Amino acid sequence: METKNDNLSPQQSLDLISSMINQAKGNVGRSSFYFLLWGWLIAFCNFGMYIVLKFTDYEEYAPSVWLLCIPAWAISAMYGRRESKTKMVQTHLDKISMWVWICMAIVITPAWVFGGKINWMMNAIILMPVGAATFLSGIIVRFNPLLVGGIVFWIAGIGCYFVNTTDQYLVGGIAMILGYLVPGYMLRNQKENHA
Amino acid sequence: MLRELDPLLHSQLRLGIMSLLMNAESAEFTYLKEKTNATAGNVSVQLDKLSEAGYISVEKTFNGKKPLTTCRITKKGIKAFEEYVNSLKDYIKK
Repeated sequence: METKNDNLSPQQSLDLISSMINQAKGNVGRSSFYFLLWGWLIAFCNFGMYIVLKFTDYEEYAPSVWLLCIPAWAISAMYGRRESKTKMVQTHLDKISMWVWICMAIVITPAWVFGGKINWMMNAIILMPVGAATFLSGIIVRFNPLLVGGIVFWIAGIGCYFVNTTDQYLVGGIAMILGYLVPGYMLRNQKENHA
Repeated sequence: MLRELDPLLHSQLRLGIMSLLMNAESAEFTYLKEKTNATAGNVSVQLDKLSEAGYISVEKTFNGKKPLTTCRITKKGIKAFEEYVNSLKDYIKK
């Protein structure tokens, strides 16, 4: 790009602004890591809870499977830190997206911590904000599979009000596969195709 | 009467840099250089001009041993950019 060309016509100036704004669009595939990590983990925890509650006599130990979330938080934080170091630009949408997920984490953490007080019937509570965050991410990165994923979580969240505690985990696990993992892999494929 | 276009923004590279920064919370020097396809020297000179005018803030830090220059648009810069775009619209409507 030349610097001396100051004789831009108004139309050229507008074209330049528009082309630079297009250049600054975020990388949609960047967030696939989080969808895949948390998708696999939460699906595993849900199915784990379901199997232990349904087919074994060790139900008092079942909630301990959620302790796997602690290392996952650490991995997410380390990955995020590494990403922010290598990322040359942070767009407004990156910042909004980050805060959407932080808000979601704040909303659902009490359900994890105090789940015992509601007989671990937490999927009905958790899946709704997870759906909202997934849907908003779809809007932010303009990726329709995430919109569908968000809607799947909402349907699953409502469905959880109509099933017993054990079956909630089956519903939650299936919702994770359809709401996180399927769009997560599609997002990753899109990233690889654009690389 | 048509408003005069801000001469500081009515330059291809400076306008390109400001457009990129309008869409970002912050951007590194390397990013601006890559996206504008300009030379490091050219970008550096234009960043100084924009910074002197108070349109952008430039922060120089280190990432390990590697120097890191991070740019952000200021409120003054946003206002100037908006006024520039409004003036452009007036020219096009004319």
